[in-house]
Amino acid sequence: MHLVRDVLDKELLDREEEPMGRVDGLIMQLGERSQPRITHIVVGGATLWERVHPAFGRLSRRMSRWWGPKRDKEVRIPWSRVKTAGRDIKLDVEGKDTGAIDWELWIAHHIIEHIPGSGHEEADDGS
Amino acid sequence: MKKILQITLGIVTSVGGFLEIGSVTTAMQAGASFGYQLLWAVLLGTLCLIFLVEMSGRLAAVSKHTIVEATRERFGFPFFFIVLIGMALVSFLVLVAELGGIGLALQILTGVGFPWWAIPVSFVVWVMMWKGTFSLIENGASMLGLVTISFVVAAFKLHPDWGTAAHGLLPTFPDDKKANYWFIAVSILGASISPYLMYFYSSGAIEDEWDETYIPINRIIAGIGMSFGGFLSMAVLIVAALVFHPKGIDVEKFEQASLLMTTALPKWGFTLFALSMLFACFGAALEISLSIAYFFAQGFGWNWSEDLTPSKDARFCLTYTVIIMAAAIPLLFGVDPIKVTIISMALTAVALPLAIAPFLFLMNDPIYLGEHRNGWLSNTVVTIVILLSFVVAIIAIPLEIIGS
Amino acid sequence: MEVKIELLLGAKVRDVNGEKVGRIEEIRVDRSDNALLVEAYLIGASAVVDRLSAWTLVRPIKGLLKSRRIYSLYDVPWQDMDLTDPRHPVLRTAKSDLHHAR
Repeated sequence: MHLVRDVLDKELLDREEEPMGRVDGLIMQLGERSQPRITHIVVGGATLWERVHPAFGRLSRRMSRWWGPKRDKEVRIPWSRVKTAGRDIKLDVEGKDTGAIDWELWIAHHIIEHIPGSGHEEADDGS
Repeated sequence: MKKILQITLGIVTSVGGFLEIGSVTTAMQAGASFGYQLLWAVLLGTLCLIFLVEMSGRLAAVSKHTIVEATRERFGFPFFFIVLIGMALVSFLVLVAELGGIGLALQILTGVGFPWWAIPVSFVVWVMMWKGTFSLIENGASMLGLVTISFVVAAFKLHPDWGTAAHGLLPTFPDDKKANYWFIAVSILGASISPYLMYFYSSGAIEDEWDETYIPINRIIAGIGMSFGGFLSMAVLIVAALVFHPKGIDVEKFEQASLLMTTALPKWGFTLFALSMLFACFGAALEISLSIAYFFAQGFGWNWSEDLTPSKDARFCLTYTVIIMAAAIPLLFGVDPIKVTIISMALTAVALPLAIAPFLFLMNDPIYLGEHRNGWLSNTVVTIVILLSFVVAIIAIPLEIIGS
Repeated sequence: MEVKIELLLGAKVRDVNGEKVGRIEEIRVDRSDNALLVEAYLIGASAVVDRLSAWTLVRPIKGLLKSRRIYSLYDVPWQDMDLTDPRHPVLRTAKSDLHHAR
């Protein structure tokens, strides 16, 4: 398997096959003499922008302090939670438990659901 | 049966995507200034588009990825981001032009100035997207857009010399006003080969759950659907050539343009023109707003689908809401939609290489397409389109300055 | 030590003698049990072509280009890469000892 071709930028699906973002970064653990291992998938925010330019990463971090879901740390998902890696990467997690879709939920609750016709009212009826 | 109905995807993509304010304006200018001489540009644009649209459909059907998703995954985020910015900016300008086109159509029908229509028009477009499903938009817009067939009716009623017109399908060059000629040619290509069309089409193929069995019908849709749009554009050019060219009328203002069909259809021509512009621009506005929102959502990995209620794909819906609101603003201040159209067509031409070059790689990727990779013919066509788009990109802005 | 892969990509690699080798374009890994182990770093211009799966296009053009540079791809086993400074990776061997993957 190749990281850039087969893992990086691929779509992530949770236990229910719902999209939860993309592989925006990967963490590698280096030991003194041991074989390096990929330990975590990183999702979202500053990690993604840093790939374009470090200044974008800093800007992203600063802006996320003002509004939106307040997160101190980036979203990391252990590689051990990966079930399959093919066309997309299926994880054995609940999307909302990882923090990967915090922004989606924040915008849904704070903006979208205040606009009539958003479908939120129907969902409240238990459908 | 469902597959046959799919042809409406092609027709609406074509009517909403091909025939909109850009292609109507450029076709009219071409006919008014140069008679039939620029028909080849419409033909060339149509042929290129047929190949590109077929490929974007095939990519989606086989790989279950849209072009945007495949671009991010194959080229990485930094390159994807550059394409995103380029495409979003250009598409946004075209959206302003389309909303303006709806406003201008309402202006000539009601006498109320287009800036007053900016907010109601954007609101209606937004409501369609907020409450509508993908099929509703696909089918609804295509049915309404069929009023544009009146352009073809007008062309036949004027009894053009079809032989002379056919000569226009081969490039011939004028003796004077050369810069203007090439500027219009480039604008026609920019109006025909709109990148947002490909993005909309590949997203639509995923929304409609295409698979490998759709490959043959995809070819038919791309071929017939896009030809339909090209045919309509040619009809506009021919009518303009017969009505405006002999009188030496340079079509600058929308009010002049609205007289396009009154010679052929004295009683209904004016109304049909206004309704055609109204519905064609409406379809285009829906397509472009969706395309931009798809670009962001698919690239960043958000939920996206017209069939989901907004609370389930919040970021996607917020994106198109913001885009439509922002596009109304220049119109509120009275910015002339025709001027925006001309600039946006030239800028589309400049941005074309950015949209099409990644395609060459994607369509040859065995992981995405397997045995359905491009053959030598498609590769040759894409390469030619890329080279053409680079040439067009380089000469578009200088021509705009010299020739318009 | 933690290294961010997405920032390691594209880093210019030098060999033990300070000679330029190329850029890290791809990383080959082995999926065993629940872990992802790094096997090798792929360096050089044509790793990009690989990554883009564009060989079907490049092979016919290669003859025309007659360029060896587009074909240089080094497969560097993880033991031979020193990533103490991830922004300036250094090989533990000389460039001439590297093995061409193609």
